[in-house]
Amino acid sequence: MSKYTLKCLFVDLDSRSVRFEQVPQDISLKYIGGRGIATHLLGLNPMLKAGEPETPLIFSAGPLTGSRLPSTGRMSISSFSPLTNTITSSSVGGNLGIQMRMAGLDVIHITGKSRNKLVLCIQDRDVSFEDVALGEDTPLQEVFLKLSSRGSVAAVGSAGFHGCLFASIMVDGAYAAGRGGLGYVMASKNLVAVTVRGSHRPGVGDRYMEGITTEDILRLFDASPAIMGVSGIHRYGTVSLVDLMASRRMMPTANFRKTFFEQYRAFSASRIVSTFKATHNGCYACPIRCKLKSDGGKELPEFETVSHFGALNENADLMSIIEANRICNEVGMDTITAASTIACLAEIREKKYTGDTLVGKVKEMASGKGLGELLQMGSRRLAEELGQPGTSMSVKSMEIPAYDPRGAYGMALGYCTSTRGACHLRAYPISHEILRRPVATDRFSFQGKARIIKIAEDVNAVIDSMGACKFAFFGASMEEYALGMKAVTGLDIEPQDLITIGERIFTLERYINCQRGFAKEDDFLPARFYKEHGTPGPGLEIPPIERALFKETLERYYRVRGCSPDGVPTEKRLKELDII
Amino acid sequence: MMETIEKYLGKLVAQGLVDSSEDASLFSMDDRIYSKDENIPQIVEYLFKTLNITSLIIARPSRLILNIIGELKKVCPDRIAPKDSESITFIHDIPVLQDMDSKTIATALKRRKGCIATDGSIIATGSITLEQAFVVFSSICFALFVKYFSDVLNSLGGSHGNVHDECTVIEPSSTILGMIGPPGPIRRPSLVIPESEYDVISTKVDTGKATVESGLVDSFFGNISYTLDDYMYISQTAAALDELEGLIDKVALDGSSTNDITSSSEMGSHLRIHELTLDRAILHGHPKFSVIMSMYGKPMELGEKRYLGDIPVVYGRVGAGKKGLVHVLPPAMQESRAAIAYGHGTFTSGSESFLDAFDKMLYIENACFEMLKGLLSI
Ligand code: SF4
Repeated sequence: MSKYTLKCLFVDLDSRSVRFEQVPQDISLKYIGGRGIATHLLGLNPMLKAGEPETPLIFSAGPLTGSRLPSTGRMSISSFSPLTNTITSSSVGGNLGIQMRMAGLDVIHITGKSRNKLVLCIQDRDVSFEDVALGEDTPLQEVFLKLSSRGSVAAVGSAGFHGCLFASIMVDGAYAAGRGGLGYVMASKNLVAVTVRGSHRPGVGDRYMEGITTEDILRLFDASPAIMGVSGIHRYGTVSLVDLMASRRMMPTANFRKTFFEQYRAFSASRIVSTFKATHNGCYACPIRCKLKSDGGKELPEFETVSHFGALNENADLMSIIEANRICNEVGMDTITAASTIACLAEIREKKYTGDTLVGKVKEMASGKGLGELLQMGSRRLAEELGQPGTSMSVKSMEIPAYDPRGAYGMALGYCTSTRGACHLRAYPISHEILRRPVATDRFSFQGKARIIKIAEDVNAVIDSMGACKFAFFGASMEEYALGMKAVTGLDIEPQDLITIGERIFTLERYINCQRGFAKEDDFLPARFYKEHGTPGPGLEIPPIERALFKETLERYYRVRGCSPDGVPTEKRLKELDII
Repeated sequence: MMETIEKYLGKLVAQGLVDSSEDASLFSMDDRIYSKDENIPQIVEYLFKTLNITSLIIARPSRLILNIIGELKKVCPDRIAPKDSESITFIHDIPVLQDMDSKTIATALKRRKGCIATDGSIIATGSITLEQAFVVFSSICFALFVKYFSDVLNSLGGSHGNVHDECTVIEPSSTILGMIGPPGPIRRPSLVIPESEYDVISTKVDTGKATVESGLVDSFFGNISYTLDDYMYISQTAAALDELEGLIDKVALDGSSTNDITSSSEMGSHLRIHELTLDRAILHGHPKFSVIMSMYGKPMELGEKRYLGDIPVVYGRVGAGKKGLVHVLPPAMQESRAAIAYGHGTFTSGSESFLDAFDKMLYIENACFEMLKGLLSI
């Protein structure tokens, strides 16, 4: 086996010192890169709190990041979440991961807290710290404009500096490490931005094999309706899901009190594409290009954002959805939590925030002033503060995305077992429950879902760790990407070996969360989903989820994952996976 | 779980993939293994423990496929790499085991979704459902059949004498030749000209079943559409043609909805075929002799067209990508209302009824069988 060691840059902002280190080969092989190596590094000190100086903020590229394999321009940003208190990591596009790899870096590990606001600048092996004089409310676009000559830029916006618990980190102006409040962690270090420029393309073990595998993957993309089909994400971006979620009666509406919004066509994909004469944009080396841009070059929102600023808030005003998204990106706030928190407030106050009023609430939230101070704590804290905890539609304090769990039972389980709170992407069962890829499963059944979700979590953990994009797996599979790994790294690794690495990563994440105090009772949906019906459709009932059945499935999941009946990974499983 | 196991065991037998239900063992796993067998073989437990899979089929394929495996193993002892388009896209190659210890099997299945055991049994896995393992099993049988006969044809001095693979069967086996026959028994769909949405759906369900029962679609799913008023009704992706109830998307022809993101991967081709021909009924199956005959002769290049009799054969990738069938198939259909996609399957259309489309597909398949017989002097 060829030598495989991850190159890590440790940065201490207190002393403004750096050191380069190679991660030992055994650890590098066990955690592979990206989300995996970040999980390992965070696990070394699992009780740290988000926002404390010694808490690391980790940028980590995957071994495939920067290769020519399709859809591999991704990287991870990780830390402990101020919103959820879990370990958290976010997969993000843009050029940062590629520039890191070109600078010979797999990981940037940042601890400490700078006295003044600063920018960390990396150019190959040169690292410098530059104090910056930026106003509290400098829009992120200005930051990017100012810094873009230095390579790829990851920056935190004003929301982070105002203490927003779901502040995001934006990369290269358009790509968000959105969920879980990584921007808060970055701002708490007084770190405004990280810029990276590298000048050496990462080497590839077998260029010929890389080419063959690329062809195999592209063939599968072409064969996937969800990717390259007439209404696939290649053509309409992720908003192509709007119509489908509405017709399946699983479009969260009125803070999840309904599952269908009659006016959904106001923000359907065809409406958005025709209104803004949308063109495509995408991450490096990605033929899918699922990001939409208006003809004026502005980023258009993703499905989750559109659906939550739309249906969840009963808002049929497309322009206000676009504006709410723009503000979130300008100040660096997670759109899903932002929209869901406003919907929660609307329910508590028995109001609707739509159009300009909705935009006003987003601005208030971004400012952190007045009610904004409470809004930027997220829905769980807001609802508790206002005396109605049952109105926060969150799991582990993370707001539920735009797929109603009553319409997809695997998704219901996946929200609860996700290691960063309610996240659709940790297991993404929508792929088979709704998009029928690679095969369909019964969306109203828990049958087999415990093992299906567990395997999907493991697969997605390793996808994030390789630097690939989950959407690529609507077409391709681990078989092709494992070949790609062989070609790029020279490692003799099979698809199932990769999934085992994913299992190690996910199990360690769960173990870390358990050490931080998370327990079985945190693995449930809000009570609403076990009590209230969704909106019926023609020939379609959306009943509440049977809590007893859910609990039974969760317990099955624990067994499959190698956990105790309380959901804690057993010593036996931790040892089998070589975690301890 | 047990119901699903029964269902796919029944399908293995009904589709002639195994000769008897005794020949197949099916397993599903959630937090424990489900099976008809009371005692779960150790090897199965080992595989579920070692591999991230939810389902497993271990079965002796039909006698015909078993014989084909025997012949192919002589020339491809380690791995068989079929060259039909679905295999290239989804299966890549099929490992052939040299040993039956659990580690050897697991090693093969760590890399691929299915493999061939030393006794000719096929082992197929699914990462999500048992249906996946069934599809892998069925696809392997289809791929082996097609590979065997296209190898034999081409090495017997097919017009160009070209071979398609590094390991190629040279000598046809008389046992195998004696086992093949034309498609049948045939069950034609009913002659209905749909006038309402209800008609469209029930006709499509019936035609899908007839296509499967008549053996005109193997392995991957095939697809079917009908256009009425301003909508195309098309089968969903990964929908078995004999189980279309509830799996038909209604797609607005003006493109105003993206609901069809779940529709068949060939939807782009269906839309364009309808646009060019105005034919309402479009059927796509994988009749094996048509696929074999489409591969007779020089391997085709993307975008190329040739003829089998007066039926165009075109080559494009599955789907609507830049190199997709969508660019080459519809013009060919405009020419003759039927076309074969090289190494893939047949598309036929009918102006108003599926019966037309079905009959054309059957006619072509029979003609291809006769051609094959002639070439092999059977
Ligand atoms: S599919 Fe979209 S998110 Fe994924 S890599 Fe491509 S452009 Fe980026």
